[in-house]
Amino acid sequence: MNWLQNLPDYLVLGLTRGSMYALVALGYTLVYGVLQLINFAHSEVFMAGAFGSYLVVSQLAPGEHGFLGASMIVLAGLLTGAIVSALIAWTLELVAYKPLRQRGAPKLAFLISAIGMSFFLVQLFGKLFNRFSGNPFPENYLDKNAPVLELGGVTVTRIQVIIIVAALLTMILLDRIVNGTKLGRSIRAVAEDAPTAALMGINIDRTISRTFLIGGALAGVAGFLFGQAFGFGNTMGFDQGVKAFAAAVLGGIGNLRGAMMGGLLLGIVEAIVPPLPFIGIEWTDVVAFVVLVAILVFRPTGLLGEKLGRAA
Amino acid sequence: MRNRSLAKVAAVSVAGALALAACSNSTPNNSGGLNSGSAGTGTQGAIKIAFQGPLSGENAQLGINEINATKLALDQWNKANADLQVQLVELDDVGDPAKAPAAAAKAIQDKEIVAVVGPSFSGPTKAVCKTYEEAGLVLVSPSATNPDLTKTLNCAAFHRVVPPDSLEGDLAGQWLAKKAKTVYLVDDLTDYGKGAVDAVEAAVKAGGATVVKREGVDKDKTKDYSVIAQAVKASGAEAVFYGGYDAQAALFAKALTAVNYPGLRMSGNGVLSTVFSTNSGADGDGWYISCGCLDATKADNAKEFTAAYKAMFNTDPSTYSPESYDVTNAVLEAIKAAKAKGTVDRKSVWDAVKALNYKGLTTTIKFAANGDVENQVINLYKQDGGKIGLVGDIKTS
Repeated sequence: MNWLQNLPDYLVLGLTRGSMYALVALGYTLVYGVLQLINFAHSEVFMAGAFGSYLVVSQLAPGEHGFLGASMIVLAGLLTGAIVSALIAWTLELVAYKPLRQRGAPKLAFLISAIGMSFFLVQLFGKLFNRFSGNPFPENYLDKNAPVLELGGVTVTRIQVIIIVAALLTMILLDRIVNGTKLGRSIRAVAEDAPTAALMGINIDRTISRTFLIGGALAGVAGFLFGQAFGFGNTMGFDQGVKAFAAAVLGGIGNLRGAMMGGLLLGIVEAIVPPLPFIGIEWTDVVAFVVLVAILVFRPTGLLGEKLGRAA
Repeated sequence: MRNRSLAKVAAVSVAGALALAACSNSTPNNSGGLNSGSAGTGTQGAIKIAFQGPLSGENAQLGINEINATKLALDQWNKANADLQVQLVELDDVGDPAKAPAAAAKAIQDKEIVAVVGPSFSGPTKAVCKTYEEAGLVLVSPSATNPDLTKTLNCAAFHRVVPPDSLEGDLAGQWLAKKAKTVYLVDDLTDYGKGAVDAVEAAVKAGGATVVKREGVDKDKTKDYSVIAQAVKASGAEAVFYGGYDAQAALFAKALTAVNYPGLRMSGNGVLSTVFSTNSGADGDGWYISCGCLDATKADNAKEFTAAYKAMFNTDPSTYSPESYDVTNAVLEAIKAAKAKGTVDRKSVWDAVKALNYKGLTTTIKFAANGDVENQVINLYKQDGGKIGLVGDIKTS
C-alpha cells in the first residue's frame, strides 16, 4: 500500500508542520498562564513576524552566498521575525489589554479587544503591503529543496531541517528562560498566584508585558520559518492561529511542554491521516479537530493537564 | 468565480465605483446648460458605458488588466469619433457576489449608461444578471467563464466573448488523456475550480485515461501544499491537473518541485497570470495552462494593441486585456449601429449587441442565442524560464 511506504515522508512533513504549530501554541499558552486570557490577536503577531523578516531577508538575499552567508541570512530572518513580533505583541498588550486590566474590565472585554486588534492588524498589513496570499520569500540563496538527509527512501530537505532545528533550539531556549532565570521565576510566580507574587515584590505589569515579548518572539520565529517554507500574506495568521490554539488546548493550556507536544501531535496527525486512501486531504481540518475532541473527551484538561503556575 | 469570506473584505470600501469626473465638454450637443439632455431630436445627455469588475481587493489585478484595455479602446474611439463621444463609469465589485448588487444599482440608476463591460467574475454575474436584465442593460463579459451562465442562468442580458469552462475543461481533458495514462486531479473547492475539474475528469475518462484520485484542497485555508504534493507523487500518476487560481497554484507548484514529482503538470485559465509565473518562478516551469483567451504579447495581430497599451499604462497587457479590448470595441460598434438607426438608448444598444458581427483580436464577436460567442478557441500555454508562453490551439498541440 503506497500510504504505508510513504508514511516516513508524511511523518517528516508532519513534524515540520507541527514544529511551527508548537512555536505559535507556546505564545497562547504563556499568555494564558499569566493572564488566564486567550490572546486571539496572537495569530497576527505570527503574521507580522513573517512580514518583518521578509523586509530584511529580501534585502540581504540577492547575490551569491556561501553556506555561511546563507546561514547568516536565515539567522537574520529568525531574529528580525522574533524582534518584530515581540514588539507587536508588546504593543498589543500595552494598547489593548493593559488599559482594560487597570480598569478591572470583565474577561469578555479582553476577548473583544483581542478580536478587534486581530482585524486591525490583518487589514493594516493588507493596506501597507498587498492583499495577496502566498507572497514568496527569496529562495535562491537557500536552495531550500536540496536534500540533506536520505534514509531508506525518505528525503529530508534543507528547509525541513532548518524548521525543525530552529524550532527545537527556540524551545530549549524558552525552557532555559522559564526555568533558569529570574524573569522565568517571576513569570511562574505570577501564573501561580498573582496577588501573592505582587506582595513578594514582583512587578506584575512588567512581568506580563515581558511574557508577551517572549510569546511574540516565538511566534515571530515561526512566522519567518512558515513564510520561508510556504509563502506569506496578511491573512496567513488566522488558520495557523486556530490550529496552534487547538494545539495548546490539546496539550493542556497553560502548560508549556503540553503546547510543544500538542503542536507536534497535531502537525503529525494532519500529515499522516488525511492521505489514507479512504479519507482524503479535503478532510484535513475535520481529522485535526476530531482528534482534538476525542482527546478532550477523555482528558478534559488536555494531554498533560493545565498546570497553571508551574508553567513548565 | 470566486467565493471570499466576509472577514477578508471587511475593510474594503464598496465605494470604488467612481464616475469619471470630467464632464463631456468636448461634446457640442451637451453644452446647452440646464435640461440640455432632453433638448433637440436624436440628441441626449452623455453616452456612457460602465465597467464592472474587481478594482480593489485580492483579485484586483484581473480587473485592472481589463479596465485598462477598456480605457485604451475608449480613448482610441473618442479620438476617432468626435461626433460620438462615450464616457466610462467604473464599478468596483471586488470580485465578490455580495458586493455586486451595489455596483449594479449604481449602473442602473445612471440612465446615461447604455451598456456594461463585465462583470469580470462568474459569481458576481450570477448575483446581478437578472437585475440588469430587468433594467434593460446589456452585459458583455470579457472573462466570466462559468458554464451555468449561458446554460441554466437564463439571463438574456448576459453575453461573453470567452468560451465556458466546460469547453476548456473538455479540451484540456482530451489533451491530458493523449499525454498521460494516469491523471491525478486536484481542485480548490471553489465554484470555478470544481467546475473546471468536473469537466476535465469527464473528458479524461472519455479519452481512455484513468483518474487515479481526485482531491479537494481549500483555496483560502491551505498554505502548506506539501502533503497533497507528497500524495500526488506517491500515487505514481503520470500527470496532475489543478483546478484553481494563480496564487494557490504557485504554492502547489513549489510543493510539487520540493517532493520531486516527475509527472506532467497542468491547470486552467485561473492560473494564467503573472502572479503564477512570478510567485512560482522556476518551480512553475513545465506547467501547461489551457485558456479560452489570447496572450496579446505573443499573438501577431495584437502587436499594435500591445504597443498602445504599453504606451498608455507602462506595462504589458496581461490576462483578459485583449478580450476586454475586444468587448469594449464591440460595444462601441453596437452604440454606433444604434445611432445610425436612430437614438442611442438601452433598448437600441441591447438590440445592436445581439446583432453584432465584429472581428476582434481574439475572436469574431457574434453571439449565439444563449449569449455565448459562436467562434470559441481554446489556447494552450506553457511556462518556461519563469515566463508563460503560447503553445497554440489546444486541439492541434
